[in-house]
Amino acid sequence: MINAVLVFNNNGQPRLTKFYTTLDTQTQQSLIAQIYHLVAQRPSSACNFLPLPPLLSQGAASSTGPSDAPTQITYRTYATLSFIMISTSTESPLALIDLIQVFVEALDRMFENVCELDLIFGYETMHAVLSEMIVGGVVVETNIEKIVAGVRSQEGTTGKKKAVQAASASLGRGALPGLGAWR
Amino acid sequence: MDKKATALLKLIYLEMFGYDMSWASFHVLEVMSSSKYLQKRVGYLGAVQSFRPDTEVLIPVVRKKSIVCLYRLALVYPEALKLGWPKIQDRLMDDQEDSSVTTAAINVVCELGWRRPHDFLPLAPRFFELLVDSGNNWMAIKIIKLFATLTPLEPRLTRKLLRPLVTIIQTTSAMSLLYECINGIIQGGILDGEDNLQERDDVATLCVGKLRGMIVIDSDPNLKYVALLALNRIVTTHPTLVSMQQDVIMDCLDDPDISIRLQALELAAGMVTSETLQVVVERLLNQLRLATLSSANGLELETVPSTHPDLEEPEGSRSPEPSAHTAVALPNDYRSEVVHRILDICSQNNYSEVVDFEWYVSILVQLIRLLPPTEVDEYWNQTPGQDAAANFKSSTAFRIGSEIRNIAVRVRGVRLEATRAAESLLLIDNRSNFFPAGSNVGSDVLGPISWVAGEYANDLSSPSRTLQSLIDLSNVTLPPRTLQLFLQAIPKVFVRVNRDLGPGDSWKTETSLLLARVVEFLEALAAHPDLDVQERAIEFLEVLRLSAEALRFDAQEMPSLLASVLPSLFTGLELNPVAFSAQKKVVLPPTLQLDVAFNDDLQSLFHTLDGSQFETNQRGSLQDFYFVPDLALSPTKALPAIASIEMHPDSSYQNVLPGATESPGATERRKLERRERYKDDPFYIAPLSGTSTPPFANDSNAGTLDIDSIPIVDLKLDSSQPDRLERDPSNIRRSRHKKMEVAADETFGTEEIPSRDYLVGPAGGPTGTKRSLLQVDSSGLGHLSMASKDGPEAILAEDDGDAEMKKAMRNVEQMRLRMQRASERIELDGIPTEGTLIKKKKGKKKVTPSSTQEAIIDEGSLQPAELKKKKKRKEKKEK
Repeated sequence: MINAVLVFNNNGQPRLTKFYTTLDTQTQQSLIAQIYHLVAQRPSSACNFLPLPPLLSQGAASSTGPSDAPTQITYRTYATLSFIMISTSTESPLALIDLIQVFVEALDRMFENVCELDLIFGYETMHAVLSEMIVGGVVVETNIEKIVAGVRSQEGTTGKKKAVQAASASLGRGALPGLGAWR
Repeated sequence: MDKKATALLKLIYLEMFGYDMSWASFHVLEVMSSSKYLQKRVGYLGAVQSFRPDTEVLIPVVRKKSIVCLYRLALVYPEALKLGWPKIQDRLMDDQEDSSVTTAAINVVCELGWRRPHDFLPLAPRFFELLVDSGNNWMAIKIIKLFATLTPLEPRLTRKLLRPLVTIIQTTSAMSLLYECINGIIQGGILDGEDNLQERDDVATLCVGKLRGMIVIDSDPNLKYVALLALNRIVTTHPTLVSMQQDVIMDCLDDPDISIRLQALELAAGMVTSETLQVVVERLLNQLRLATLSSANGLELETVPSTHPDLEEPEGSRSPEPSAHTAVALPNDYRSEVVHRILDICSQNNYSEVVDFEWYVSILVQLIRLLPPTEVDEYWNQTPGQDAAANFKSSTAFRIGSEIRNIAVRVRGVRLEATRAAESLLLIDNRSNFFPAGSNVGSDVLGPISWVAGEYANDLSSPSRTLQSLIDLSNVTLPPRTLQLFLQAIPKVFVRVNRDLGPGDSWKTETSLLLARVVEFLEALAAHPDLDVQERAIEFLEVLRLSAEALRFDAQEMPSLLASVLPSLFTGLELNPVAFSAQKKVVLPPTLQLDVAFNDDLQSLFHTLDGSQFETNQRGSLQDFYFVPDLALSPTKALPAIASIEMHPDSSYQNVLPGATESPGATERRKLERRERYKDDPFYIAPLSGTSTPPFANDSNAGTLDIDSIPIVDLKLDSSQPDRLERDPSNIRRSRHKKMEVAADETFGTEEIPSRDYLVGPAGGPTGTKRSLLQVDSSGLGHLSMASKDGPEAILAEDDGDAEMKKAMRNVEQMRLRMQRASERIELDGIPTEGTLIKKKKGKKKVTPSSTQEAIIDEGSLQPAELKKKKKRKEKKEK
């Protein structure tokens, strides 16, 4: 299952944190900091899998079989934002990369050329998109059409309005480049 | 909403007259979720009246989420699964069902799958169908993952699965699916079965070929990484196949990406053979060399002014971290990981892959130079106390030192070289050369190395210089663990030096000079804060003081204390490696009684002690006796001790006198005596008839000492890894130039595999049981049986009396609390008792639900059927 979904920008400021287990705020923050530290070190040519940060590797069993402990961290960087998924071994690493892609594409549909500012103003929408895709750490939907439709039906017109507001508020916005480059 | 509630109320009324109201079940939900109590009550009433176990109230969007919710619920409350399972099953089996619902269901089943694979075996045909027909890659990946957990239980499944999987591997264009297929084949154990070898090898070849393609053709680092990951899993069953891909893997070792490198490193460790060992290790060494060069340039400015850190840190396990984060080519933890791997590779299977031990010793010495400056990472230092020991052991520097020690003990052929290497590292002049200031590398390595120098002092090239280095006063600041080993080594080397001096004119002055210096060093340690160091220092200090006294008295020749007694302390039986678990197997002597009190009248004993507490005079003198170092020890005390030794020439000290000449018969007799005497001694391993096969004892020292009496038992570790064993002898036979005998660990009886964790590091030890952050504990699911699916119906058939009712209510409340606690506790540990706990609860709850439904709203005590509704309500709120 997926244990956590994180989004932060290049400065390590969190833009979305979703933990599927209860965790006190302090630990959350230190975990984010540790992961950011790992991500920031990596060149863009590196692969999308992180070694476990110290907080997580302490309890991770070395056995190969499936277990409850998170063992994989997949990340992907778009422009100024990094998307991170922490998961157990029951998830496929390559599928997670695709899942991040789907998440970003869905956001892109919702906000029409999504950028970091959109996510700050459309915070609720972002959570809605995520909850359409992942519930309680289990992936429920991977079809972009259905995700977008689900969020739209929930939010009615407000989401759209928010998105538009955000769009007008952000000057000199740039869409996340490289989005189209992925297949 | 008011109107709706009223309408619903009317509808309920109508239902009473036999009109169907199942079409309105969704509206019932709506009203239930109203915030007004009056409306809510109507809703609940409607639910009770109209809902049947088979009521379908969910629209598809909600359905897929509710399946997942059910899973999460089941994690905390396994009983819920029992109720929800038929539903999930329905969703799975239903061909008309919306595909996304099926996917969600598959995802949940996949999560549940590895906990309780048995329950899902009946569904295998349906999964199979979905896998072949669906064409949805997401789902296919999950199904394959699921099958990987199912196949070990049902061997027939393997044969059926193999064909579609191979087809997918050959045809699919989606890399993720391809990878998961290969992964599934590996994890499902399809490669390790016994039957039809040919086919399996074909599959393995196909997989490895595809993986190679992923590494070579695509420049995508992600694919490289996962391919290496998969290869790592194959390597355990098909090492030869993987080692054919060596060229590619070696390239990955130099990949700019650290993650890829680490994987390649692990793989290299798995596939290495005696032929490739040297190449791989040299390559890794080169990497380290380059990294050290580049980082040294960056660090030079900062490290120079840093003072000796151990002055402030008597524990020594903390690293100072003076030069924080300069941009280095390779992170330090990677570098120490490489060092660990090199050691792993070389030492695996009792050094079976190493052919040239001289080369290995030189590698070890080089590694010490290349160690990253601060390799104990900071997070370990945050946990104080009990981790210090583990930390010390996991330090790479300590490991290298231990390797040198291991080689010296186990491989006689290179003992000389190993000792010389240890000596060169130990010499005080060389230390600044080997160990950069401001790191704890030096202090960690020096401990085991000093042991080697002491134990094999005969092989030292210049014992006196070694001794000088050992008793250099700057050593006092070393960490206690190192000092303990130093202290053991000092008298040993001293004996050696003393013997070398030989009969001449100057021996007396030189010996007394040496003695004085050693005593001076030991005195410096006699008040060391670490008790172990203090004790050893004082012990040896006293012995050496006695010797000094004896030397002063006896003008003409070497006093026997120096000439024979002191050396005899350290000669005699050769030390051999003993298996980790051997100590546990020593049988306690039957006369040993641990449960009997020494003194039954302990109370009064303490009482009298308390009474005398105020006699401060006596106390003071006692304290003086123990705590004030008695610098001038009276010689009168010492003399009787010496005399008594000399009066009994048959005491054990004399047995091993180097100069003593005795008849072989006497030797034989004494050997028997000793064996008899040591029979019950836990420090000696009694020879076992039959199992003892001395592999090397007769080569060097036949006859001189009774080495033959040392029992040497083959390491049973090997027999549990037959495939390795098959390869080993051939390797040794092939080793051309020098055939080295490697002494195995000694043990007796049957040998379970000793855990290597105590060497390797923190992973296995006390931290192994620690729960990982973010972990969702699903262990509760494993204990639940889904056999009884008629739970809730049976519940209602219970009768209830008033008193029973009250009791039950109390129980429920208790259980709820306990449950709450349990759900908090999943942070801490798995709950093996979960299953039984829940069952009990179910039994007690029987009485409550029908009458007091509205009253109890918290989840713990909800009637199971209602749980589902509650969850649905949540869903609705979201909308």
